Amino acid sequence: MFRLTGKIAWVSLARRRTRSVLVVLMIAVSLWGLLFMEGIYDGMVEQMINNAIRSDSGHISLFGGGYRLDPDLSRQVVDVAAVDDFLAQDSRVLSYVKRLKQDGLVATAHYSRGAAIFGVDLEVEERHGRLAGYLYQGEFSFGRRARGAIIGFKLADKLQVRIGSKIILSAQDRHSDVSAAPLKVTGILKTNNMAFDENAVFIADKKARQLLAMDEGVSQVAVILHDEAQIPGLQQELRRRFPHLEILRWDELYPALMQSRVMMEGFNLVTSLLIFCVAALGVFGVMLVSVLERLREFGIMLAIGTRFSQIRNIIFAESFFLGFIGFGLGALIGWGTLYYFMIYGLDLSMFGDAFDEFGMDAVTYAIIRPSYFVTALVAVTMATFLSVLVPLWVLKKAKPIEAINKN
Amino acid sequence: MLFKKLLIKLALFGLVWAVVSVLPLSAFVDSADEIIKKVEYNLNGKTAVVELTMVVKTKRTERTMKMESYSIGNNKSFIKILYPGKDKGITFLKVDNSMWQYVPRIEKTIKIPASMMLQSWMGSDFSNDDLVKESSISEDYTKKLLEETDEEYRVELLPTEDAAVVWGKIIMAVSKMYYLPTTVQYFDEDDMLIRELAYTDIKPFGDRFYPTRWLMLPKEPQKAANKTIIEISNAVFDAEVDESYFTKRALKRYSK
Amino acid sequence: MLFKLALRNITAHKKRSSVTALLTAIMTALLVFSSAWIDGSHDTMIQSAVEIYPGYLQITGKEFRANPSYDHLIFDAAAIEQELAQNNDIASFGARFESFVLFSADEKAVGGMLTGIEPEKEVHLSRLSSSLKKGEYLSADDTNQVYIGHELAKRLKLGVGDEVAFVGSGADYSFAADNLKVKGIFQTGLFDFDANSAFLAKGYFDRIMVAENYATHFIVLPKRPQQAEELAAAIADNIGPQYQSASWNQTMAGLVKAMKLDSIFSYITLGIIFIVIFFVIMIYTFLAVFARIREIGILRAIGTTPKQILALLLLESSLLALISVVIGGLIGGAFAYYFHHNPIVFAGMEEQFKQYGLAASAMPTAFMPLVILRDMVVMFGLSVLSTLYPILKVNGFRPVEAIHHV
Repeated sequence: MFRLTGKIAWVSLARRRTRSVLVVLMIAVSLWGLLFMEGIYDGMVEQMINNAIRSDSGHISLFGGGYRLDPDLSRQVVDVAAVDDFLAQDSRVLSYVKRLKQDGLVATAHYSRGAAIFGVDLEVEERHGRLAGYLYQGEFSFGRRARGAIIGFKLADKLQVRIGSKIILSAQDRHSDVSAAPLKVTGILKTNNMAFDENAVFIADKKARQLLAMDEGVSQVAVILHDEAQIPGLQQELRRRFPHLEILRWDELYPALMQSRVMMEGFNLVTSLLIFCVAALGVFGVMLVSVLERLREFGIMLAIGTRFSQIRNIIFAESFFLGFIGFGLGALIGWGTLYYFMIYGLDLSMFGDAFDEFGMDAVTYAIIRPSYFVTALVAVTMATFLSVLVPLWVLKKAKPIEAINKN
Repeated sequence: MLFKKLLIKLALFGLVWAVVSVLPLSAFVDSADEIIKKVEYNLNGKTAVVELTMVVKTKRTERTMKMESYSIGNNKSFIKILYPGKDKGITFLKVDNSMWQYVPRIEKTIKIPASMMLQSWMGSDFSNDDLVKESSISEDYTKKLLEETDEEYRVELLPTEDAAVVWGKIIMAVSKMYYLPTTVQYFDEDDMLIRELAYTDIKPFGDRFYPTRWLMLPKEPQKAANKTIIEISNAVFDAEVDESYFTKRALKRYSK
Repeated sequence: MLFKLALRNITAHKKRSSVTALLTAIMTALLVFSSAWIDGSHDTMIQSAVEIYPGYLQITGKEFRANPSYDHLIFDAAAIEQELAQNNDIASFGARFESFVLFSADEKAVGGMLTGIEPEKEVHLSRLSSSLKKGEYLSADDTNQVYIGHELAKRLKLGVGDEVAFVGSGADYSFAADNLKVKGIFQTGLFDFDANSAFLAKGYFDRIMVAENYATHFIVLPKRPQQAEELAAAIADNIGPQYQSASWNQTMAGLVKAMKLDSIFSYITLGIIFIVIFFVIMIYTFLAVFARIREIGILRAIGTTPKQILALLLLESSLLALISVVIGGLIGGAFAYYFHHNPIVFAGMEEQFKQYGLAASAMPTAFMPLVILRDMVVMFGLSVLSTLYPILKVNGFRPVEAIHHV
């Protein structure tokens, strides 16, 4: 029975080949466009978020109490051992890093600039946030005797320094005396986390402790989890365990990024709705016309004893065929396109240097989420289903048997 | 027993000697070192009380200030502004690497934050940092004698790895007669001349000679029209200087 | 004759025509509204960023922007003032003197900008006065009364009436210091600005900073802000080569770039939507044309040439497109007009905007008839273009084929 319905539907679609091909193409193209947009835009936002998480906030950051309002060396995470113990044993934690931070000044013979000085352990940073991946020039090392500094590319640009240049770092130490140290630029980073690229100077943890006269304590512990869904739970637990610390999620530290994500979701939803409304309109037109054209044909079928439900099934089948073939084709091309851009990235640098300015990567790597295809499938099904309701209603009203006598 | 100790000592000595003698240029290093040490001693003394006039010239203005400075060695100094009347009583205190200033008009002592250390000091071509750090040449640089003429030594000063100085190198010309600098040139890392300080008009003060006119010329193109001249009108060296000048309380107390 | 025929054909197939027309009209309305939205939001963002403080047009000493030191000031403010007063394209202007100082409430010193402004002129030039949060805005004859940013006040732990000292250097590089009393606290919403800025009446400021008749900037509000660029050039010609006159396009190049970037993404999205629309219109035309294939066959059979039929069909689709584009343009325009006067408010989006240095969350659309016309032309072209394939295809049939086409 179903096979027969399917066959009839298929044959009548094939009879109007050009039209059917056009509809299939339309659905495929709209789906392709939609997938492309979702994948690229999501990729862009996730990349920005990822940059911030890897280079700075982690999924969760721990600070000393009151540090965020007044980032002073006196407000540090002091019970490092306890934090260490907890994080090292918790199965939700993928990795974490400890950083010592202080604002100071970088100077050369020509220029001086404010800077955020980070005392870090490069090996841990690399394991934690693959920081070396952001290396733009030079090497990911502080040199043999830890006299190197890795600095943000915008800062390097403003100071007009290159690999090997000497910089003098000065900052207020724990006793609020001004302390200074000479360093050589060993690496230049481009994280596309704006604040970092403009300000950050990474130096060896040991060097920073010497400079700031800090024997113990860290300014920030950044934690990356295995699963994003566990962030709130871990945050709660950390807060319970370390009530005197400030424990913040990445989206609390970078609210603008979270808003970008939410906005992008909304934007994608609106765009997909729009595209599917248009596509549904296309299917609707074709189905309506094809029903009207075949009034006589359906009349004859009814006259020879075919039930209306069978005809309805045929029409539904036609619509679903169009929809699913279009979906399959669109999903395939869309997936292929996204896959390509996931591997090779979409280079938007032709649009100028605006990207650097706003903490975006010029090359965007697409994201493919199964949900794109599921949503699209639901939408296509809905669209094809809804778009034949009116033609069916028209068909019922037109009393096809009477139509036999027309013409 | 004693003999054995002596033997060990001798052996150690021998080792040291061997190491020293294979170092190249050791003779030059020594004499350049000595020159700079003498120069530093001649410029700073154990203590110094100096009265000076500073003239700052820019493209459009010229400003004259008079001040009094008290210092002990390299690490402590106290400066009080005497002229112009508007700024009279402003005091500066520098102890080691920190600097404070007191402004009578607002009756406040302010610690100069790290971020301001490289700013110009009172509009001159000296930075706050110059005032704080200039003094430790003998510690922060390795010295090499480049040239010796009848009147002058030319010594190249290269910052040691640990020295927090922005310069790539400094070339100092030293008068043989007085063991005082005549010109000091400051270069960046690419050997570009950034500024030049000339010491002239050497005069006797007590038992020592001292340059009474210092001229600082910035060589960067955007500051080409600027210069700063310091003229020393009076100086007393190695006299007893009251330690009380070098406390934060002194800023206000000696402001009047 | 052809025209009448085309019109009759359109009206004869009311349903089909109206569906196609509706589709095109909706798309046109969508495009018109999207453009209005993109332009409008960008204008608003730029406008709010510009109007908060930097102004549409800045006049500075020639090298001041590259190297903001006291050597590159405006040394004869009166002359500039005279020049600007004569210019009829200027709505208002005022001088500012910005200087970097150390603020100190107790031992703790905080670096920041202390700026002398002309309070009553500044009312028209920036949103400083309207950003008042506590206390009062400045007036011209104020002395050591300071108008301070909310976050800076917080850092220094100051309230209205409290005292704060500052130390800086005067325009002649002399020492400048004074005790100030907080008269008012403002919050523009730009964190960095609010955390670093404080203002004094320029009269008093000039006395303590030895800056009489000096200025770092003149801020100019053009009568027609869209023409800031031309005005900047005109002013530059008049004030001489020792000064620079730059519009917001130059002073806020970063923001301009951000807007460009945003436009790129918006147009990519619109582009994809258009591809879909293109297909839909093509399908509808296809259906419409093929429904009439017998009619076309008969026309051919009675001797109408393919050229004439082509002309007829094209005229039909153009007419239909024209009608729909006009309707769509009117609808889109109406929406653009409505939201121009009743801006859409984005509550809770402030953070995102602040990242771009903006403090606005109400976004009016732009209502620009010329742009609407442009979009209508684009849509017209697009819809006529999308009918080409079906028309050419149907015209390719031989008459007999066409008559017997099912």
